[in-house]
Amino acid sequence: MNETSSLDSMFWQKSYETKQYKKGLKAADAILKKFPDHGETLSMKGLTLNCMDRKSEAYELVRLGLKNDLKSHVCWHVYGLLYRSDREYREAIKCYRNALRIDPDNIEILRDLSLLQAQMRDLSGFVETRQQLLTLKPNHRMNWIGFAVSHHLNSNASKAVDILEAYEGTLEDDYPPDNERCEHGEMLLYKISLLEECGLVEKALQELHKKEFKIVDKLSYKEEEVSLLVKLNRFEEGEKLYKVLLSMNPDNYKYYEGLQKCVGLHSKIGQYSSDEYDQLDTLYKSLAQQFTWSSAVKRIPLDFLEGVKFRDAADNYVTPLLTKGVPSLFSDLSPLYDHPGKADILEKLLLDIEESIKTTGGYPGRSEKEPPSTLMWTMFYLAQHYDRRGLYDTALAKIDEAMQHTPTVIDLYSVKSKILKHGGDFTAAAALADEARCMDLADRYVNSQCVKRMLQADQVPLAEKTAVLFTKDGDQHNNLHDMQCMWYELASGESYLRQGDLGRALKKFLGVEKHYADITEDQFDFHSYCLRKMTLRAYIEMLRFQDRLHAHNYFRKAAVGAIRCYIKLYDSPSKSSTEEDDELAKLPANQKKKLRQKQRKAEARAKKEAEVKNEEANAGGVSKSGKRNVKPVDPDPHGEKLLQTEDPLMEAGKYLKLLQKHSPDSLETHLLSFEINMRKQKILLALQALKQLQRLNAASPDSHSCLLRFFHKVASRPAPVTDAEKLISGVLEAERPTFSQLHGKSLMEANTAFLEQHKDSLMHRAAVAEMIYCLEPNKKTEAIKLIQDSPNNLVSNNGSVREWKLKDCITVHKTLGTVFNDHDAAFRWKVQCADYFPYSTYFEGRHCSKQSHTENGSIPSNGKVEKLDLAI
Amino acid sequence: MGAGRAVSISLDGVRDKNLMQLKKLNSVLFPVRYNDKYYADALASGEFTKLAYYNDICVGSIACRIEKKEGGSIRVYIMTLGVLAPYRGLGIGTKLLNHVIELSHKQNIGEIYLHVQTNNEDAISFYKKFGFEITETIKNYYTNITPPDCYVVTKYIGGESQSKK
Repeated sequence: MNETSSLDSMFWQKSYETKQYKKGLKAADAILKKFPDHGETLSMKGLTLNCMDRKSEAYELVRLGLKNDLKSHVCWHVYGLLYRSDREYREAIKCYRNALRIDPDNIEILRDLSLLQAQMRDLSGFVETRQQLLTLKPNHRMNWIGFAVSHHLNSNASKAVDILEAYEGTLEDDYPPDNERCEHGEMLLYKISLLEECGLVEKALQELHKKEFKIVDKLSYKEEEVSLLVKLNRFEEGEKLYKVLLSMNPDNYKYYEGLQKCVGLHSKIGQYSSDEYDQLDTLYKSLAQQFTWSSAVKRIPLDFLEGVKFRDAADNYVTPLLTKGVPSLFSDLSPLYDHPGKADILEKLLLDIEESIKTTGGYPGRSEKEPPSTLMWTMFYLAQHYDRRGLYDTALAKIDEAMQHTPTVIDLYSVKSKILKHGGDFTAAAALADEARCMDLADRYVNSQCVKRMLQADQVPLAEKTAVLFTKDGDQHNNLHDMQCMWYELASGESYLRQGDLGRALKKFLGVEKHYADITEDQFDFHSYCLRKMTLRAYIEMLRFQDRLHAHNYFRKAAVGAIRCYIKLYDSPSKSSTEEDDELAKLPANQKKKLRQKQRKAEARAKKEAEVKNEEANAGGVSKSGKRNVKPVDPDPHGEKLLQTEDPLMEAGKYLKLLQKHSPDSLETHLLSFEINMRKQKILLALQALKQLQRLNAASPDSHSCLLRFFHKVASRPAPVTDAEKLISGVLEAERPTFSQLHGKSLMEANTAFLEQHKDSLMHRAAVAEMIYCLEPNKKTEAIKLIQDSPNNLVSNNGSVREWKLKDCITVHKTLGTVFNDHDAAFRWKVQCADYFPYSTYFEGRHCSKQSHTENGSIPSNGKVEKLDLAI
Repeated sequence: MGAGRAVSISLDGVRDKNLMQLKKLNSVLFPVRYNDKYYADALASGEFTKLAYYNDICVGSIACRIEKKEGGSIRVYIMTLGVLAPYRGLGIGTKLLNHVIELSHKQNIGEIYLHVQTNNEDAISFYKKFGFEITETIKNYYTNITPPDCYVVTKYIGGESQSKK
């Protein structure tokens, strides 16, 4: 250490910590004038520059400083901090470890290290570091807690309990002082939850009772107590306590469920004996008398009641809400539509109500008149009811009637938009959503819904314009990304993917992936914050949530979307410049020239814009501390660079890995894995995917076609030559018998057997047909006939709903066109489906809005989209 | 529910954010399509143009234009007043009209007037209840509906009709 500079260095260290970077920089420069090679000063100067967004200089200086003073823990610590700021945690950990080798008891570095270990889930390392910290400073509360938490995370809850108890032993009897009562109570609740986790339920309950007066959070106290009581089978006490909790909050479904468990009337699948059924009915009747203002107590019986009792309960539940006008009534009741028979009862009930109001002005059998809006809400419900049952004609007629009755209710337009979407008319759905939006321009929800419908109708520019109405001015479109608006990015990405714009699609999907990385990142600050604030139960819950983060639906959608883009990119690489030239060559000379000029102009314009933006970014806003707060302009806003990847399958592999790790029970994960690995010729990995598919759902059409494609492909491979190839074919031979479908059968026979099992299902027949064509291409006509002969039976007993789903029929249409390459068959299919799906724009059904791509906002024939602001 | 079924009727102003509600109402209430000037006038009239909400559903409106007379005094012209058919007879129109009358009163505006088609007896008797009188007949006021004639219906506030309130 250079003694002369240590005082000065104290000074700039202080400047750094108080974020006075410019001052710090000056101080550092003053020292460097005298001692230009002073390692620690160089490092600190680098770190300061890092905070001022001068990254490359920062790394240079920090590395130089370290080179000049390899024995300094400061230099290593700074190097670690630099890596940490760039989220390079593994590198940062290495640096901290080097620093600690020089100065093993440096508390600051140990603490920084422990945070990184928690973040990276280096749990044994975390325990070790935490132990060291406690040994060094046992009088710090946080160190005790940290040590306990580290053991808990490292799956040693009982050790964690021991530590917390040892900590309690160090406290005075009159602990805690008034200002720490909350923290202490949290610690106790945490300890009790640990005891419960260890299976020491009895002990947990004892401890809870013993410490009751020290626990501030009385609600958590009761909830914990009741959960322990139930675990100990002390149901009578549990029942009493649940009733106390219900009197505190009679709308908490969990309390009702717990109460049912305590009185022995709980079934996960909702099946009850007639005895239990009556008891439940009585129970809820008495609860309803007690908690008159609770809506849960009225809603829950609808789940288990049946027949006449269900009808009466539904009547009681529905009528006040129709009178009041509760737009969410249908979504509240929609889970009931999964129970057979209940939908029919509801239909009858609501139709009776409608009829009665129309004729008498009141509900059936009642003399009071209903307000006029009740009829409208009843029709509103019925429209959604018919939509749910797939009767789009009836649903639309009902919603139109409601709109005629009261044309100013926005929800009516939203629901009509939804019905049309379900019917397959995305253009009209978007137009209606837009109409709804126009009725309240200050409502973000209807705006967002409209944007989503526009994206579903592939009207991306319009959707962008509409979405921007609710973002902050200035950075506009990007603002949606900054706000982590994932539904938007996903819907936009999917639209681009449908339209074949892979670059933009990838950009959106990867944007979502980035949000998840950010969310993982966001936990960092909590490692120290939660220990300090003692919010330990919430902290652990947050960590567990983070561990499952990538299993979230939005992430899965984004990863699947990105992988599909990369596969598409691999199958048909984006046009190289030579190909484009070929296309140009087909044009007449004068047009060619025009086009070229246009392109050149556009390029020049784009370049200029980018430059201007960059300049603005550089000039703008250097804040007082010297930190630039303007973000750099995205160098690839349309994802063109993403398309230039050398190896799309390798890129896809990155996201596939995350799916395999976090969504192993999704069929799609393994379908994508199969597709990627078949393309990469990774036979064994494809086999692995195949086995997963069989495990999850061997009856799925996709699993079936993967199975046949795989063994068909394997059979056509040349005889193995190298050792590796021999090994692979050995594995295949050993594995083939594990697929029972193939026992003693040729692939063609297995295909036929599969057809026999599922011969009424369109998608299964389509898969079988595709495999016939794949195995024996000369049987193409037979294969196509198999699809065309698929039965489309009626499914519901009222009306005209058939088995085939719109989505499936579209898939089949695409298969006929692209796989079989039979445009006649595809056309016939389309005509047939147009009949089944009259609202579908894809099949150009007779009721769909014509897909006109006129510039000035086409007016769909559906949905009465009048432009009302026309002047006369 | 039951006896104490309280229905609330409330009024809200018209702004560019909810202008569409007024347009929707007009599109079903009146045979005429109003032009941009109508809506500009309505917005400019401020508190004199109101939407009526029945249980939070927009069911009626009154739209006025503020006119400057020669000599600088101000009068109110009611461009439209209407309530959706199922919601009539519930006092919503009365509430809307009273609002405009009271507001005029407060702002010392002496005159409110409007045009009514000569055969629209319901409307005429409705306005008469509020102290409006027929003050003029204009022949061939309308171009595309019959009868094409209209009355000018006026309420004077302050002077003659002071007693009525």
